[in-house]
Amino acid sequence: MELFDSLSPLFVLLTIGGTFVGIIFGAIPGMTATMAVAVCLPITYSLGLENGLALLLGLYVGGISGGLVPAILLGIPGTPSSITTTLDGYPMAQQGQGEKALRIGIVASLVGGLISLLILDFFAPALADFAIKFSYVEKFLIILFALTVMAALSSDLLLGIFSGFLGIFISLIGTYDVTNGGNGEWRLIPPGTEYWLQDGFSLLPLLIGLFGLATVLEEAQTGMQPGMSQKDVKVGKHERFSFRIFNGQWINLIRSSCIGTFVGILPGVGGSAASILSYSNAKTFSKHPERFGKGEPAGVMASEAGNNGLTGGALVPLLSLGIPGDSTTALLIGAFTLQGVQVGPLFIGNNPGTWDAMIWAMLIANIAMFVMMYFAIRYFAMVVTIPKHILFPVILMMCVIGAYTINYGIMFDVWTLLIFGIFGWAMGKLRLEVAPFIIGFILGPSAEVYFVKTLESFGDVSIFFTKSPIAMVLWVMIIGSVVGSILLNRSAAKRIRENS
Amino acid sequence: MGDLTHVTINFDTSHLIFPTLIGAILGLLLLAIVIRDRRRILASGSYWKSIMVRSDKTRLFGALALTVLYFSLMEPIGNIWPNTGMGFLLTSIPFVALAGLLFMHDRRLSKAWPLLVVAVIVPIIVWWLFTDLFFLTLP
Repeated sequence: MELFDSLSPLFVLLTIGGTFVGIIFGAIPGMTATMAVAVCLPITYSLGLENGLALLLGLYVGGISGGLVPAILLGIPGTPSSITTTLDGYPMAQQGQGEKALRIGIVASLVGGLISLLILDFFAPALADFAIKFSYVEKFLIILFALTVMAALSSDLLLGIFSGFLGIFISLIGTYDVTNGGNGEWRLIPPGTEYWLQDGFSLLPLLIGLFGLATVLEEAQTGMQPGMSQKDVKVGKHERFSFRIFNGQWINLIRSSCIGTFVGILPGVGGSAASILSYSNAKTFSKHPERFGKGEPAGVMASEAGNNGLTGGALVPLLSLGIPGDSTTALLIGAFTLQGVQVGPLFIGNNPGTWDAMIWAMLIANIAMFVMMYFAIRYFAMVVTIPKHILFPVILMMCVIGAYTINYGIMFDVWTLLIFGIFGWAMGKLRLEVAPFIIGFILGPSAEVYFVKTLESFGDVSIFFTKSPIAMVLWVMIIGSVVGSILLNRSAAKRIRENS
Repeated sequence: MGDLTHVTINFDTSHLIFPTLIGAILGLLLLAIVIRDRRRILASGSYWKSIMVRSDKTRLFGALALTVLYFSLMEPIGNIWPNTGMGFLLTSIPFVALAGLLFMHDRRLSKAWPLLVVAVIVPIIVWWLFTDLFFLTLP
């Protein structure tokens, strides 16, 4: 009965509460699951690892799922992962079928979440078992591969790679940590800032700045448009929902869930890519592709199954390799760090209780999301009318708590939040990519240890190419991701030129 | 080939190897970006101008100024009553109220009162929750 050990009333309550708050965050346009996790992270300090993860995973599942509410009712994706839900969900709402579209999306979200959970449960331990055999060379190449995949899937390959390396560079500020075999010397610290920067920038204030303050600044820049009024919310007439609408759509649901999960496994690729790929596949395989974009339920199913499929998939590289699958799971690393637990190939084997707890939390969160949203969707729909001028100042206040408490009360962490909030806002203007930057920042110190220690041991750069067959395969994957991205960009540019 | 790829690491300067390598790669990437996007970079003045024209400068710079003021005052005020979190509480109430008023479009009192109620109640609840329930240090 070890599987049930982590199930306490508090654990279940935190998962359900997290899911509830996550849905609200996801349902408000401009607020994301990542922001929900960032804002609520300080609450986990005193909860312990498993209860803290229960809350955060609930927020994650709820945040991704809640995005369908404004996508369908207002035609505005609540989160980037709901972009394609608007294409058919909003036309359905305009035709008076808002509630039906919402329920289709909710069921698809549940299917996507559960299938991805199954894949996570099966695949993460297997991948971790395989990854245990990796030496520093393979670990370094995995990080390089993660960066190139992310950069390859960025809107601009060169800027994506630059963002990733910039993240690594900033992560190296401070001391070369002796606990990892470093020499304890400082580097890259601007004169006069040694007192604050000797340990570098903390991860969580940086993340909270990039996802909390930067969002608030972006909204302020665009004038903080007033929230929607109740008459804008087109839930439509109440009618009995029949599950018969899913007849003939189970292949679409399963395929979309698997696509979402696979996209989640790729490091740093967000939910928008999952839903776009699922949607375009559903359209390609549909007998009626001409109906897509005009209120086709299959489009809503594909998009929502795809983006919820991401939730389990994104945890696979995090728990088996220590590489976050998306920006929200990058924040989960913060939760692990807070509790002194390191994620990587040894995590599942060394922490079976925490692993079981995570699976339970994901399962409970998906069921809670379904029950809450399915039966109370009309009330959740009203969330989109909450005024932003009240929400955003409160969120900023919560960001301060998150940043200040991370190192038990250091004001410099609050200033870090401000620095990276402004930097995150400016990144969008400079077309730099946030996801590769974060992954670079998180993995930079490990990459340094793997690289330098390998050279210290072998004294030859060629070892990175010749260490093992796995290393060679990884190089093929690295080069393939870069070359593939260049070819894809070229063909896309050619298509644009031909169309114009 | 063996000599070309051979590297000797001096432990005393090992902290500089990776930053130097990453710095060099960043420099090369920056050079590649500048060469590729040189026309766009040269014409970027109008891009930044259009961003500023389209921006709500009052709300953007107002939010920034309020945030800087909020962070600057939090610790000095907190130092008056050390280890009580009063710096957080006493600066958060006006910050939420002022930032909310800044973000609002219709600032009539009848529309602003929910914000003012939230500005008082939420920081108090959060302050109590974190200091008394979770025993976390606040400024």
